[in-house]
Amino acid sequence: MSYWTAFILTLFSPVIGGFIYGLERIVRARMQGRVGPPLLQPFYDFFKLMDKRSIIIHSFHAFMGIMYLIGTWFALFVLLSGGDLLIAIFFHVLSLAFLVVGGFSVRSPYSVIGAMRELLHMVAYEPLYVLSAAALYLVTGTFQVSGILHSKHVPLIYLPLFFTAVLFSLPAILKKSPFDTAEAHQEIIGGPEIEYSGKFYEAVYTAKWIEYVYAFFFIFLFAGGNHILGALLIIFAFFFFNLLDNVTARVNFRQMVAFHWYILIPLAVINLMLIALWRS
Amino acid sequence: MDFKKFRKRSPWILHYNTGSCNGCDIEILACLAPKYDVERFGILNRGNPKQSDILLVTGPVTKRAKERLLRLYFEMPEPKVVVAVGACACSGGVFRHMYNVENGVDKVIPVDVYVPGCAARPEAIIDGIVRALEILKEKGKEVELPHWCSAQVKPPVNRVKLLDRCLEELHGRR
Ligand code: SF4
Repeated sequence: MSYWTAFILTLFSPVIGGFIYGLERIVRARMQGRVGPPLLQPFYDFFKLMDKRSIIIHSFHAFMGIMYLIGTWFALFVLLSGGDLLIAIFFHVLSLAFLVVGGFSVRSPYSVIGAMRELLHMVAYEPLYVLSAAALYLVTGTFQVSGILHSKHVPLIYLPLFFTAVLFSLPAILKKSPFDTAEAHQEIIGGPEIEYSGKFYEAVYTAKWIEYVYAFFFIFLFAGGNHILGALLIIFAFFFFNLLDNVTARVNFRQMVAFHWYILIPLAVINLMLIALWRS
Repeated sequence: MDFKKFRKRSPWILHYNTGSCNGCDIEILACLAPKYDVERFGILNRGNPKQSDILLVTGPVTKRAKERLLRLYFEMPEPKVVVAVGACACSGGVFRHMYNVENGVDKVIPVDVYVPGCAARPEAIIDGIVRALEILKEKGKEVELPHWCSAQVKPPVNRVKLLDRCLEELHGRR
């Protein structure tokens, strides 16, 4: 992909993410026997928030909200322009760090609790993503996204356990049940995003749409050069994680971290070792 | 671009119980459940004053709840509307003239729509919200104060100070 197409795609990624989010709300409603909102609902929300008065707690807090948006946007740009996988992961972590710092900078206990849980989220799923970058390197021989997308191998065939692990940690990165302790809308009302309002909440809201694109692009990478398979994987992952969201209850943070560290990461490491052994 | 027309499309709700018997609260939740499913109209129960547009209040406002109600009202950014749900919230209902209640939400914060009924039916609540959306569409973005509060709003708006002024007056009032 050329630099300019990547740039334009990144620019429009909130639109793509918004459609994914709208579709997700419909699918979730249908699974619960409801009709659900229209597909364009996220954009209606977006335009409404544009017109709200913004209450600023202090300027640093508001600034962190905007940096969260820019950070995720940049991480996605690195992915889409065919850059280094590790750098994209790094920027994603950085953007979440902005959100966490913003969450800690206000006195609302919900915000502070949410920020702490957000850190635990990162502890839980980030190793998996770094490991998956390593695994993709072992299969395709490159950390460059453009290289992975043009490789002759299909990583999914070599990394089935790995793919399962990433699939199960998808709710953690997108903060859906069962791993939505950081947001937990019924107990801490959104966690670190609770104190944002008006235009600043809009930034956080949009950043979450971009994270959808980011997470699903990661799934896409598991198909390597086979882009049709990649599209199928994304559709499968989308329905799978919506189903998971609907049928499970929230686990607490200990269970979440334990599930990632005792089950998913060992699964991934076993897969990694088998590949390495087989390669040598 | 005129953003006003999107207000009707995505009203987010904050629901607060000021000491009601829970009858009206259950009816509000019934609106969100599959049978009435108000998410069709983009209505979400956010539970967060900073991000919501409609304040749904139930209950007769007990002495303890009135300060919280005022705080929640101040934490909501404009434009906003207040809907009083149920006989209690409108006038005190079965709790009227008891020693511990304020006889209705409009004694503490300005109310835009009154939804009658004990308990208010989900259909009535949805009608009330639709009426509230029409009012919301016309509203401006100036800071709104309760009608009894004498504080002046000056341009760099400090909501904490305004709230303190109003709370003083609220507690001084008998
Ligand atoms: S109006 Fe009736 S049902 Fe509603 S809170 Fe009051 S007593 Fe309960």
